[in-house]
Amino acid sequence: MNDRLPSLRLSWQVVVRNWMVYRKDFLANISPTLADPALILGSLGMGLSGYVGRIDDMSYAQFLAPGMIATTALFTAFFESSYGFYVRMTFESVFKAMLTTPIGVNEVVTGEFMWVFVRAGLMGLGVSLVLLVLGLLPNPLAILICPLIAGILALPCAAIGLLASAWVRNINQFQTVYSFLIAPIFYLSGVFFPVPSNSFLGHLVQWSPFYHGVKLIQFSVWGKVDWSAALWHAGLLGFFTIALCGLSFRFIGRKLTT
Amino acid sequence: MNDSPIIQARGVAKRFGDFEALVTLDLEVRKGQCVGLLGPNGAGKSTFIGCLYGVVARTGGDLEVFGLDPAKQARDIKRRIGVVPQENALDDGLTVLENMRIYASFSELSRKTADPRIAELLSYMMLEAKRDATIKTLSGGMKRRLAFVRALLADPELLILDEPTTGLDPSVRHLLWEKVIELRDKGKTVLVTTHYMHEAEVLCDQIVILDRGKVVGTGAPRELIEREAPGFVGIFQPHTDEAIKPHLDPSWVLFHQGRQCCVRAPRFDDLLELQRASGHTALQMRPANLEDVYLKLTGSELNDDE
Repeated sequence: MNDRLPSLRLSWQVVVRNWMVYRKDFLANISPTLADPALILGSLGMGLSGYVGRIDDMSYAQFLAPGMIATTALFTAFFESSYGFYVRMTFESVFKAMLTTPIGVNEVVTGEFMWVFVRAGLMGLGVSLVLLVLGLLPNPLAILICPLIAGILALPCAAIGLLASAWVRNINQFQTVYSFLIAPIFYLSGVFFPVPSNSFLGHLVQWSPFYHGVKLIQFSVWGKVDWSAALWHAGLLGFFTIALCGLSFRFIGRKLTT
Repeated sequence: MNDSPIIQARGVAKRFGDFEALVTLDLEVRKGQCVGLLGPNGAGKSTFIGCLYGVVARTGGDLEVFGLDPAKQARDIKRRIGVVPQENALDDGLTVLENMRIYASFSELSRKTADPRIAELLSYMMLEAKRDATIKTLSGGMKRRLAFVRALLADPELLILDEPTTGLDPSVRHLLWEKVIELRDKGKTVLVTTHYMHEAEVLCDQIVILDRGKVVGTGAPRELIEREAPGFVGIFQPHTDEAIKPHLDPSWVLFHQGRQCCVRAPRFDDLLELQRASGHTALQMRPANLEDVYLKLTGSELNDDE
């Protein structure tokens, strides 16, 4: 009953463990998550700005900028909880040893979510700072808000990765999940172009937690908040976070115990 | 109270779909005992061990560890056990000390308590010189000893060893045996699974032999040998059955280990007499041991699915 505090403390130890392993290979680990958004901004943002014209009275680079924070959160979370988690689970047997200690499956999964939250939050902060330096962050307050949104957005994205970890039969199948789920989510959720609200795509993306995160980050980076829309997106992001995380607790639980 | 068993299993069963990994398992481990679980691959040893700390949910029977039910109170049980799992599962890129600190934190030890404890155990397992070495530079034997250190961090009452010496060279194996015996003598309770009969004979006060999810024999090692396979065993060349058979007493047992032809007789002299009469010299003559019991009870042939 009164097990919540020790349980949270144990989950935090999972974060500490992941951090210790992560920092051993810090540069190799951190560079892709920063390189991707930099490449997109550099090539598409700078390259296309002159051709695309203005969107909502912004240059294309300005339009693209907030999406980079969301993108970092998506990829950090998905890769960590798919390939990363799967390798820990299958090839390194990390959890077999971990589960012999007072840590249980719930602490393992909670710890993975906490880890992804912290990482995506910090990466979100890093990208926000880069945007600030590049003059692509008109609302400086976004420095405080965006890391938080990135952290929360990372949770449903990580849940998708964990569910994939529970369902794939071998590590190669993550490629399929990436190609048919993560890539479409990435390309179609309003990062690269404004999704017309009354279109088929406009209805479809309502099902993507990533879309709602992108919208919230755009609101804060641009400093243009439509509060009723913000509430809608925050609500749905919250809903998908709870639903997907809940599912992943259940399915990873089944995977780690028999 | 002190006399209540550390592990008490009655009719423990585990079914995976149609497959019965454990049909029924009864077992009792008392404080300070070292109990060995023997059995072929797939007999259900690791499944049972998983049941003890809640990673395998039993589908039948009663099970108590320290009087607690692992299905409901796994964490309370896990605070009092140390496990050496089949795979070491150490973090390859981290150092020995980092690995142990992580596990100390998993076992809810503060850094202040953990560090001296880690130092003490590293020296106990003769690894103190390796404190700052990364795991990938360690030999297999060192990694295994480190897995023992990890299992002992929280000073557990019950030590569970799942094939602790598989794949290790004899010197490491002897070192680990010595340590296990020491720990048992200090009052720790030990449950060990192994494929090495000699290991079981050296370490265990009590043996439980499993086959296809059922207990097929149980008792102290000497007791099991006396009961199931008493006497002396002569091992003869392959294809000597026909030559030997006419000279066997009906009370003796003829069996095979691999292709070799074996005879078990009550007295050593019986085997000498058999050599003389058959004209075949035995490759080896020895007192019956746990391996003879094991092969008799589990069937000397490989399981069909092996």
